[in-house]
Amino acid sequence: MSHMIKHDVPDDNEIHIEKKFVPKDLDIDKDVSWAQINKDVLRSLDRPRPIFWVIFFAAMALFSFGVYCEKYQYDNGLGVADLNNPQVWGLYIATFIFWIGMGHSGTLLSALLHIIHADWRKPIYRYAEAMTTFSLLTAALFVLIHLGRVWQFYYVVAYPNERWVWPNFSSPLVWDATAIGTYLTSSLLFLYTGMVPDLAICRDNATGARKKLYTFMSLGWQGTDRQWATFRVTYMTLACFLMPLAVSVHSIVSTDFAVSQNPGWHITSFPPYFVAGALYSGCSVIITLFILLRYVFRFEAYMTMPILNKLIKMTFAIAMVWNYLNLIEYSTVWYGANEIAKQQLLDKMTGTYAPVFWGMVFCSTVMPFTLLIKFVRTHLPTLMVVSIILNFGMWLERIQIITPTFGHSQYPWTWTSGWWPSWVQFGIVAGSFGWFTMLFMLYCKIFPTISMYEVKEMVHDQSKMLKAKGVA
Amino acid sequence: MSLNNLIKNWTSFRSRRPYLDQYKNADYKWAMVIDLDACTGCNACTTACYAENNLPVVGKERYEKGHAMHWLRIERYWGEGESVPVDMVPDRGAQFLPMMCQQCEAAPCEVVCPVGATHHSADGLNTQVYNRCVGSRYCSANCPYKVRYFNWWQYADTAWPNPLELQLNPDVSVRSKGVMEKCTFCVQRLRESMDHAKTDGRLVRDGEVTTACAQACPTSAITFGNLANPQSQVAKKWKNQQIALEKDEQKKDENLRGYRIFEEFRTYPSVVYLERVRDLEA
Amino acid sequence: MPVKKQESIDTGERAMAAEKRPIVERRDFLKILGISGAAATLAGCGNTSIESGVEKVQSYVQPEDFVVPGNSVFYASTCTQCPSHCGVMGRVREGRVLKLEGNPNSIISNGKICGLGQASIQLQYNPDRLTTPMIREGGKLVTASWDQAMKIVNDGLGKDSRIKGNEIVFLTNSVSGHQKVLINNFLESYDSKNHIAYDSLSTQVGDQVRENIYGYTNPVHKIKEARLILSFGNDFLGAGVSPVYLANQYAQFRKAPRGTLIQIEPRMTLTGGNADRWYPIRPGTEGVFALGLANALIQHPEYDTTLPTELTESLKAYDKYTVGQITGINPDAIGHLIAMMWEKTPTLVLSGLSAEGHQQGYQNAYAIELLNVILGNVGKTVTAPMENPFPQMTHVNGNYQGLVALNNQLDAKNVKVLFMMGVNPVYTAPAFIELKNKLSNVPLKIAMVTQLDETAELCDVVLPLLSPVEEFGTHLASYQPEAIEIGIQQPLMEKLHAHTKSFGDVLLTLLKERDEKSYSKYPDYYSYIREAVVKSKPVFKSTLSDDDFWDSALMNGVLHVPLKEAQIDKVKIESVNLPKVETHPEDVNYPFYFVPSVKADMRDGRHANLPWLQESPDPMTTVVWDSWVEINPKTAQDMQVREGDILEIKSSMGSVLAKAYLFPGIQPNTVSIPFGQGHTAYGRYASNRGVNPFKIINPITDEKTGELALFATRVQVTKTALNEKVVKDEGPTTLQQGRKLVATMAADKAELSKEV
Repeated sequence: MSHMIKHDVPDDNEIHIEKKFVPKDLDIDKDVSWAQINKDVLRSLDRPRPIFWVIFFAAMALFSFGVYCEKYQYDNGLGVADLNNPQVWGLYIATFIFWIGMGHSGTLLSALLHIIHADWRKPIYRYAEAMTTFSLLTAALFVLIHLGRVWQFYYVVAYPNERWVWPNFSSPLVWDATAIGTYLTSSLLFLYTGMVPDLAICRDNATGARKKLYTFMSLGWQGTDRQWATFRVTYMTLACFLMPLAVSVHSIVSTDFAVSQNPGWHITSFPPYFVAGALYSGCSVIITLFILLRYVFRFEAYMTMPILNKLIKMTFAIAMVWNYLNLIEYSTVWYGANEIAKQQLLDKMTGTYAPVFWGMVFCSTVMPFTLLIKFVRTHLPTLMVVSIILNFGMWLERIQIITPTFGHSQYPWTWTSGWWPSWVQFGIVAGSFGWFTMLFMLYCKIFPTISMYEVKEMVHDQSKMLKAKGVA
Repeated sequence: MSLNNLIKNWTSFRSRRPYLDQYKNADYKWAMVIDLDACTGCNACTTACYAENNLPVVGKERYEKGHAMHWLRIERYWGEGESVPVDMVPDRGAQFLPMMCQQCEAAPCEVVCPVGATHHSADGLNTQVYNRCVGSRYCSANCPYKVRYFNWWQYADTAWPNPLELQLNPDVSVRSKGVMEKCTFCVQRLRESMDHAKTDGRLVRDGEVTTACAQACPTSAITFGNLANPQSQVAKKWKNQQIALEKDEQKKDENLRGYRIFEEFRTYPSVVYLERVRDLEA
Repeated sequence: MPVKKQESIDTGERAMAAEKRPIVERRDFLKILGISGAAATLAGCGNTSIESGVEKVQSYVQPEDFVVPGNSVFYASTCTQCPSHCGVMGRVREGRVLKLEGNPNSIISNGKICGLGQASIQLQYNPDRLTTPMIREGGKLVTASWDQAMKIVNDGLGKDSRIKGNEIVFLTNSVSGHQKVLINNFLESYDSKNHIAYDSLSTQVGDQVRENIYGYTNPVHKIKEARLILSFGNDFLGAGVSPVYLANQYAQFRKAPRGTLIQIEPRMTLTGGNADRWYPIRPGTEGVFALGLANALIQHPEYDTTLPTELTESLKAYDKYTVGQITGINPDAIGHLIAMMWEKTPTLVLSGLSAEGHQQGYQNAYAIELLNVILGNVGKTVTAPMENPFPQMTHVNGNYQGLVALNNQLDAKNVKVLFMMGVNPVYTAPAFIELKNKLSNVPLKIAMVTQLDETAELCDVVLPLLSPVEEFGTHLASYQPEAIEIGIQQPLMEKLHAHTKSFGDVLLTLLKERDEKSYSKYPDYYSYIREAVVKSKPVFKSTLSDDDFWDSALMNGVLHVPLKEAQIDKVKIESVNLPKVETHPEDVNYPFYFVPSVKADMRDGRHANLPWLQESPDPMTTVVWDSWVEINPKTAQDMQVREGDILEIKSSMGSVLAKAYLFPGIQPNTVSIPFGQGHTAYGRYASNRGVNPFKIINPITDEKTGELALFATRVQVTKTALNEKVVKDEGPTTLQQGRKLVATMAADKAELSKEV
C-alpha cells in the first residue's frame, strides 16, 4: 500500500473476523499506487502501441469507403442498395438495431452496477459508456442513411414550424427518434459528468492545446468536499434516470416491429426480447474492447482477468435470458392461432433465409456455451474471437427479424426468395464499423478510458476490506 | 395545427377504426367494387393507370430488382392451397386479382408514418403527400397488401426520354426519388369533379367521375363511386352484398359473393371483391 | 342524324365535358387544322418549339379559342392499333394528347379501351420515331428532305422509268376505309392490281370455312346470348378479332343466367384462363375432337337431321375412345360435354388460331363449325353481319397468301417498285421464305413507317408517317357486330415532327403526278376525306348541312349505317376431307409440339416498341420485357429444367434460345414461345430483346387455303448449362397460401340474378 492514502484510511475499524481471509482473485492489484494509476492512465493519452494507429487508419479507410457508398446512394437513390418493394429496409434497419443494442450495455455497466455498488465495474465502465455514446451516434446515422429523402429528415422532429405541422405521434418512428435523442443526450451527459474529476487530473498534467481543452472541460474542478458531494448526488441521480431510459429505448425500438401487423413481428414479448438482445450484444462487444484496450494501452494492471471473468459471467447470464425469450417468442407463435405467423416462422427456419436463422442459432445460442470452458475465458485471443462471433450472431439476429418477414409477409404475391443486398449496403455497414472504431479510438486517445478516481476508490476500498479481514 | 389545437382535438387526431356512422352525414366516401368473375386479367386497367398517373416504365433491369411501379397489378394464382402436385392441370382456369391500394379506413400505413405524409382524407381516401414524405418506407413495411411503391430511383431522368415526357398528365405530379407512392383512386379526377360540383352547388353525381382503371375496363368489372350516396351503384352493390364498411366480420348470406381481403386484420378496406364464379359441373 | 346514341353512365364527366363544349370552338379548331394544314400551329406545341428541341416556356397571353389552360378537351377518334378499330376519345390539354379513353358512341368499344389502344400515345411520343425521310446513299440510309425522297419515288414511277403497272406492288397489313380506297386508286392509275395485304397472324383459314358454310367470312358471334361457349383455342378475350367488344359481350355472358365457357387448346390463352373448364388437347387434333362431339351429338334425340347422310356416316369413325386416344382428352369428357350442350342452349362453338394453324387446319375449323350447325346455333348465336353499303371501304383482311403472292412475284423478279405500309415482313416472314435476300433484288423499295423497323432498314426510301393520333382517316373494322360502324379518325393534336406526313397526303401527291385533273381539287388528305364523308351523307339519311354533318361525324367519332340485319339464308355443308383419324406419329428427332402464343398487346411484334406494353406483364405468366419458353412443370421435372434455364428450341428451320418458364397451362409434350420479341431494329424498347419464333416455323401450310400452319411446328428441346433470372411480377409462389385473396364460388351457389 502506498503511503499516499494512509491518512485516508480510518484506523478504527471494528470488524473482526475469526478465520483468516485469503483473497483469491483480487479485482485489481492491491499494491498499485495512486500515482501509478495516474501515470498509467495518462500514458494512454500519450503514446499507445503502434497497433493503435494500424487500427485507426484501417477504420478510417473503412469509414471513407462508407462515405463514398453513401454519396453514391444519395446521388442515385436507394435503388443502388438493391432494396426493393417488399424488402424495403434491408441491412440498414437491421444494423440500426444492432448499434442501438450495442449502446445498451454501457449504461448497464455504468449506471446499474453503479447503483448496486458493484465495484468491479470501475476500471471498465468509462470505455463502455463511451462505446454507448458512439454506437448511438452510429445508430442515428443509419436512421438518416435509410431515409429516402434524408435532406428532409427534420420532418420527423417535433419542432415548432410555420405551418404547425407536427410529426405523427402515433408512429413508432417518432417514438424512436425521441427515445434515441433523449438517450443519446443523457448518455453523453452521464459520460461527461463522470469524467469531470479525471479531466481535472488531465488538466493538471497537460500542456498546450490539450491543457486548454481539459481546463475548459473540467469546469473548474478542484476536488473540494462540496464539489465531491454535489458530484456524487448528480452522478447517482443521472444513473437512476438513465437506467429506465436504457430499458425503454430498445423497448421502443422493438415497437417498430411489434406495433406492425407483419407475421414474425406482431409479438408482445418483443420489448424484453429486444432489451435482452441489446444487452447481450453490448456485453460481448465490451469483452472485445476490453481485450483490445488492455493490449493497446497496456492496461493489464486495471483490466484484470478477475474483472473479465465477472464480465463473462454476466454475458453468459444475459445470453441465457435472451435465449429463453427467443424460445418464448417461437413457442408463442407455434402454439398460437395465427396460421400466417406460423407459416412465416417455418419459412424463417427452412426457407430461403434459413442460413441466416441457423447462423444466428450457432453464433448466439451455441457459442455462448464455450464461455463455460476455462481456456476460452482465459485465453484472450480465443475469447476475442468468441466475443466477436457472439456479436456477429446478434447482427444476424436482427437480419433474421427483418428480411424473412418482408420476404414472406401476409401477401404471397410479393414474397421474395434469395434477396441479397448490394455492395452499397455492405459498404455502408462496413463504413459504420469504421466510423465507430475511428470515433472510439480518437476518444481513447483524448480522454482517459479508465476512471482514475474510481480506480483509486476501488484500490482504497479493497485495501480497507483486506485490512479488515486481516490480510494486508 | 397548434399545440393547443393538437391537445384539444387529440381524439380526432388519433387514427382509429371507422365508427358506425362516420360517413352518415358526410358528402363523400369513395369506394370500389371489383367483380372477379368479370375480370379477365387483360391488363387494360394497369395500362390506363400508367397513362393516368404518370407511372414510370422502369425497364427490365429494374423490374428484375423488384422496382416496378405498377400501382395496380394483376395477380395470377393457380390455386388456393399451399402446394400443388407438379402434374396439376389448371382445369378451372387461372385466378386473376387486380390489387391496388385498398384505401383502408383504419389503414396500417397511416398510423406508422412518422411525418403524417399518408393520412386519411375527409372523403375516405388514404392519401399520400409526396412533399411531406421523408421515405422511411415504414408504411410499405406495415401494409398487409404490399401495394405501396417506393421511388428507388429518380425515374423522371430515365423513364420519359424526349419527347415521351409530353405524355405526362399535368394534373399529376411526377414523383422524385425517395418518396412513397400508391394508388390514389385517381384523386385528381375526384378533386376536379368535386370542384365542378361545388361550383354548381351540388354533389358529384353517380357516374360523373370514375377512376382510370374503371373507365378502361372492357368488361366493366370495376365499379367506382361514392358510398355516402345510397343511390350510387357502389353503395347499392355494397348493400346488396351485405357488406358494411365499419364491420370486420360480415354476417351475410352464404350465396353472396362480396368480401374484402384481409378483413380480419381490421383494416376496413374500401374495396369489395366479388367472388369468381366457376361452373364446377362443367 | 340517325346515329345510335349509347347511353352510358360510366363514361364520366369527361365525355360530357366534350359534348358540352360549344360547337363553334370545335369548328374553329377543325378549320385551323383543315385549312392551314401542316402550317397551322397549336398554341400548345408550336410556341414551345418542341419540334426544334429548344425548350421555351411561354405563358398563354392569348390562347387559341379552343385552348383553355388547365382544362382538358376530349376529341373523338378511332384506334388503329388492331383491326377491331375501336372508337376512342383523346384527352387533349394545352394542345397535346395525354390519354385515350373509349368512345361511348362506338358500338365496338362501348366507351372502353384495351391496353394496346392506350399505348397509341407512346407511338406518338416515341423517342425513336422517324422524323425525316431517309434515302439510301452509298448503301446506307441517310436523312433527306421530302423533295429528295419523293424525287426518287417519282423517278422510279415516272414515264422515263417505263414501268409497267404490274411491276408496282403495294404491300400493306389489313387496311380499310379511305386508306384502302386511295391505295387502290393509286394502283389503278397504273393499271396495277398488286395490292397485297399480308398479316402474319391471319384468321384466313377460319374465314374461309365460314365463307364456305354461311357465305360470310365474319358472321357475328352472339357471345352474350349463348349459355354455353365451346371455344377451340379462340382467344377472343386476348388477341381476338375485336377484344374490347367481345370482352364486353363476355361480361354480359357471365351475368345471370350465367353462361359457361369451355376452352379446348394445347396452351392456355387468356380466354382459357377465364374458362369454367379448360381441356388441354394435343395440338392439331381439335378437329378430331370436334367430330367426336359431332358424332355423339347426332345420336342425341334432339338432333334433327341437317347434315348430309354421307357426312354422318363418316362421322361414325370418330367414336369417343378413338378420339380420346388421339386428342389426349379423357373419352368421358365427350359425354359430359354433350349433356351440357343440349342442356345449356343456345350454345356457341368457336374455332381459333391454335386449331386452325395446322396442315389440316381447314378441316379442323370445318369440323368445329359443323358443331354450330348441328346444335342449331345458326341464326341464334351465329348470325349474319350487316350489309355494308361501302364495299370499296371494307376491311381487307391480310393473310399469309399475301406473303406468298409477294414471294412469287419476287421469285419471278417481277417487282420494280415495292411500297410497304404497316407491315414488317422481314421480321414476320418465316425464315424459309428468305425474304431478306429476295428483297435485295427489288430496285426500289419504299417503306412508309413511323419508326425504322427491320424492313424499313432495307428499303431505299423511308417516308416518315404521322402517328395515328395526328392523322385523319376512316376505318371499317373487320368484325362488325351490331351495325356497320365507320370509325372517323381525326388528329388529336398538331403534328409533333415537322417533317412527317400523313399516308393519305403521300398517296395524293403520287396520284396528282398521274392524274392532276381529278385530284387537284384536294389540297390535302383532309379535304379528300371530308368530301368523301360528306358525299356519303345520303346513306345516313342525314338532313344536316354538309358542314354540320362533317362536324357531327367528327364529334361522334363514328358513323353508323342504319340498315336492317341480314340473315344467313342457307347453310351449305359440303363434303370435305375430315380431319384424319390417326394417331399422330411420334417424331423422334423433334418430339415436342411448338405452339407459339399470341399476346394481346404485342400481337406479331408490331407493338414491341411501346414501353407500356413491354412492361405490362403477360397475363398468364407475368413475364415482362422478354421472351420465354413455357414448359409443363412435369416435363420440366423429367428434364431437370428449372425456371430460368436457357433452353434451345430447335426445329428443322433453325433454333432459338430462351429462358424456361414452368407453366401448368400447357400440354406436357408442348412448348410455347410468345410472338412479338426478338427485334433487331425498331427502336430502343423493342430491339435486342428476346427471340423471334417466326424464325423457327416449319414450312407447313394448310392443305386447303395455303395459309402458313403456325402451330404445326415440331421441335426438340435441349437444356443448356446457362440459367438467367426470369423477369416477372409473380413471386416464388403462385398459390394463395391459404389466404382468401381470390375466392371462388360454385355457379349453382351464386345467385347472380339477385345482384345489383
